[in-house]
Amino acid sequence: GSFIFLNRQKHFEMASVKKDPILQVETTCGSLLYELQIIWDEVGETETDRDKMLLELERECLEVYRRKVDQANRCRAQLRQAIADAEAELAAICSAMGERPVHIRQLQALQKEKVKFDLNLASSFLVWLLQTSSFIYSLWCCFTQSDRVETIRKHLCSLYSHCSVLGMDFNEVVGQVNPTLSDPEGPRSLSDHTIEKLGAAVQKLREVKIQRMQKLQDLATTMLELWNLMDTPIEEQQEYQHITCNIAASEHEITEANSLSEDFIKYVEAEVVRLDEVKASKMKELVLKKRSELEDICRKTHLLPVSDTAIDQTILAIESGIVDATLVLEHLEQHISKIKEEALSRKEILEKVEKWLSACDEESWLEEYNRDDNRYNAGRGAHLTLKRAEKARNLVNKLPGMVEALASKTIVWEQEKGIEFLYDGIRLLSMLEEYNILRQEREEEHRRQRDHKKLQGQLIAEQEALYGSKPSPSKPLGGKKAPRMSTGGAATTNRRLSLGAGMHQTPKPNKKPDQRHNDGALSTGRRGLDIAGLHTRKQSMNPCEQLQSPLVRKPFSPISTTVVASKANIATTIQQQLLATPVKNNNGVTNLEEEKMMMMMMQTPKNVSAMIPIPSTPATVSVPMQTAPTPLNNNNNNARLIPEKPEVVEYSFEERRLAFMLQQSNSLIYA
Amino acid sequence: MNLELSNPPSDGISNLRFSNASDHLLVSSWDKLVRLYDVSTNSLKGEFLHGGPVLDCCFHDDSSGFSVGADNKVRRIVFNVGKEDILGMHESPVRCVEYSYATGQVITGSWDKTVKCWDPRGASGPDRTQVGTYLQPERVYSLSLVGNRLVVATAGRHVNIYDLRNMSQPEQRRESSLKYQTRCVRSYPNGTGYALSSVEGRVAMEFFDLYGTFATGGCDGFVNIWDGNNKKRLYQYSKYPTSISALSFSRDGQLLAVASSYTYEEGEKSHEPDAIFVRSVNEIEVKPKPKAYPNHAA
Repeated sequence: GSFIFLNRQKHFEMASVKKDPILQVETTCGSLLYELQIIWDEVGETETDRDKMLLELERECLEVYRRKVDQANRCRAQLRQAIADAEAELAAICSAMGERPVHIRQLQALQKEKVKFDLNLASSFLVWLLQTSSFIYSLWCCFTQSDRVETIRKHLCSLYSHCSVLGMDFNEVVGQVNPTLSDPEGPRSLSDHTIEKLGAAVQKLREVKIQRMQKLQDLATTMLELWNLMDTPIEEQQEYQHITCNIAASEHEITEANSLSEDFIKYVEAEVVRLDEVKASKMKELVLKKRSELEDICRKTHLLPVSDTAIDQTILAIESGIVDATLVLEHLEQHISKIKEEALSRKEILEKVEKWLSACDEESWLEEYNRDDNRYNAGRGAHLTLKRAEKARNLVNKLPGMVEALASKTIVWEQEKGIEFLYDGIRLLSMLEEYNILRQEREEEHRRQRDHKKLQGQLIAEQEALYGSKPSPSKPLGGKKAPRMSTGGAATTNRRLSLGAGMHQTPKPNKKPDQRHNDGALSTGRRGLDIAGLHTRKQSMNPCEQLQSPLVRKPFSPISTTVVASKANIATTIQQQLLATPVKNNNGVTNLEEEKMMMMMMQTPKNVSAMIPIPSTPATVSVPMQTAPTPLNNNNNNARLIPEKPEVVEYSFEERRLAFMLQQSNSLIYA
Repeated sequence: MNLELSNPPSDGISNLRFSNASDHLLVSSWDKLVRLYDVSTNSLKGEFLHGGPVLDCCFHDDSSGFSVGADNKVRRIVFNVGKEDILGMHESPVRCVEYSYATGQVITGSWDKTVKCWDPRGASGPDRTQVGTYLQPERVYSLSLVGNRLVVATAGRHVNIYDLRNMSQPEQRRESSLKYQTRCVRSYPNGTGYALSSVEGRVAMEFFDLYGTFATGGCDGFVNIWDGNNKKRLYQYSKYPTSISALSFSRDGQLLAVASSYTYEEGEKSHEPDAIFVRSVNEIEVKPKPKAYPNHAA
């Protein structure tokens, strides 16, 4: 009995706040008891009766307490049940989503905490209540406390969640708000002030959470950039997947324990720093890689690359930390994209340049090929070579047009861009110009040669008309230089004699008499010469005249002859006699033709000796032959004639025709 | 008959020959083709492409022939099958080809100054078919074959006469007595002699076997028939569009094929298109006339 009063007394003294309604209630109970005591003193209640009354009072009080406690218990049990139900639901949802039921643990922890808290609270309540003797007081407490408990509970929940995420100690944080709240033993302060402070703490922690979350997301972004730059392998990246996946998360989505703790953030920071260092060490590599990429593009587009020294110096600067490698890389990237743009604009012209260059290659090949005299000798692959030559000729025909088109395109490009179009450092237009000049020079040369050949040919033809054969180059077929002829105006060594003709070819008037080294002309072997025993007849005009006339070659003019077989006549008729013979036209039939036919030698073995002179030189020799110095001809085709004499070679129509055909195909190149 | 063949060559005609067995005509051309015509139907039976201008051709029999040209090759062509074999090669363009029935050999003359003999029976095999090669003093311009006698005319107006049975040495070596470059040589059908023509006027020559008269064609576009023994001209056909490059009498002498084809005697110039005419031969045109008769004018 008295112990209660004593305790109450103590509590009454400790609770010093006057305004406290609890205290107020407490005062009322005390005063009632005091009043009771006064009444008993007045009435003269015995001690025994007093004790009996007090015991009764206590008993009745205890019963009320018990009822209230039972009620509170029942409340609690209900709450627990509700929590358990909610938990079960949550677990079911979590398992349906296949997620780890993190929240369950949190909830469980919370629940435990809550339960612990509740228990603590309840027990301290009880203790406290038992230490008072006022049941109204306790009843009042029960009612008024539940709202606050709820608020506090909410705050404490948030605080707990935040602390978990932030890796902070919950008790510590709570204790900072109000030490009583963290003391499991002692009574709790549940004042408004405490509640306010709790609320403020929750808000503060929320701000910290947001701050850290943003920092983490920045770090994750940096991480991703670094990975991208350095092509980090996927295995390395996966370790930090759980961070980078939250890169765009919002605050309330982040709930995992310690996911924003200081340690964790440090951990991520460390990784970013490490990556940075790796990046720095790879910077040289990257710069070189970028540089080679740049060089590659330059090379493909035939631009001169960036100077090496610049890059090397830059690398040194990076290594010594003077220059930020990132800037260099950025610069290089810019340069690369600029070059790529330029390459694109150059593409069309470059393609044309390639075509032009390969056509020039074929042109050179073809020139060499044409100089090769063996090219018609069939060997393996000769057929393919012929095809290539034909293709090459076609290509070379197109060359001038190609060059023209390329030049005009380049000029347009230069005007548009305002810079020169360089190809490996040289202005493309200069290259084209040079090529044109070379080609012109070559054409000049060929034209000169052709004209020279033509002239030669015509001179030869003139001579042939006169003398029955012509000087010619050493080789029968074309492809070489123009035939080396005896100088114009001089007749060949051949004399033209015809069967039965009374005249013979006259030498040039100005011919020196000592040039009669062809006395052997009358011998059998002499080309163009008839055999001894037959008169010769001069065919046509003064050879000088013929040669000097504008190269009008008379059509093949037949000779009118009469057949006379007389050895003697030769001797007598030989002298410089010019006889102009009318040129026969090829139409109409005349006696001349018949006579001509008689020229045809009907040779039978029997008649031969009569008709054909003995190879030995006849007696009558003094024929002042028209001679001309013939160029020394190594390919002496008439070895069995007068070997020491350089011989000139004749052509048949077919040989000339073939030579012309070949020349035709050659000349297409230089046309 | 006076027929102009359809589908003539598109460039100069180097030679044409009637077959010994039929009225098939083999034509070689500067357009690199050898053509086989059937004159009786005026149709082109086959075309065979060479690597360069074809300079000569000849029959073996109605089923095959030989051709040579500026690609230096000697070819045998099997007409129906359209097959060709290369018998061999010279070192320069091959100007002439003849087939010797007497020896069964193909004889070619080339600007490489050789005459070569080939055995066509070895044509399909990998072995060389060349039987012999005979150096000439100069480039070979014309060949003629009668019996066992081969006459070779070269540049420089040389003439070599061989006996095919002994090719080691020419039987005779000659010089043409004509002033000009030898153009064509043809042996007498009776083998007793040969005729030469020179560039002075005559580019083609063919004997009419029966009478020993011969036809000549010239750059003037005329074909004349001659009696060589009497040294008379027997006939002249009307003028052809351009130079006569080749002539050939049919096996029975009833037909004369005339190649009217510019022969390049004046170098490169524009000319009439190349054509082949086949005409009947009348006896009166080719039969010799005794001296007593006056000359027959055109």
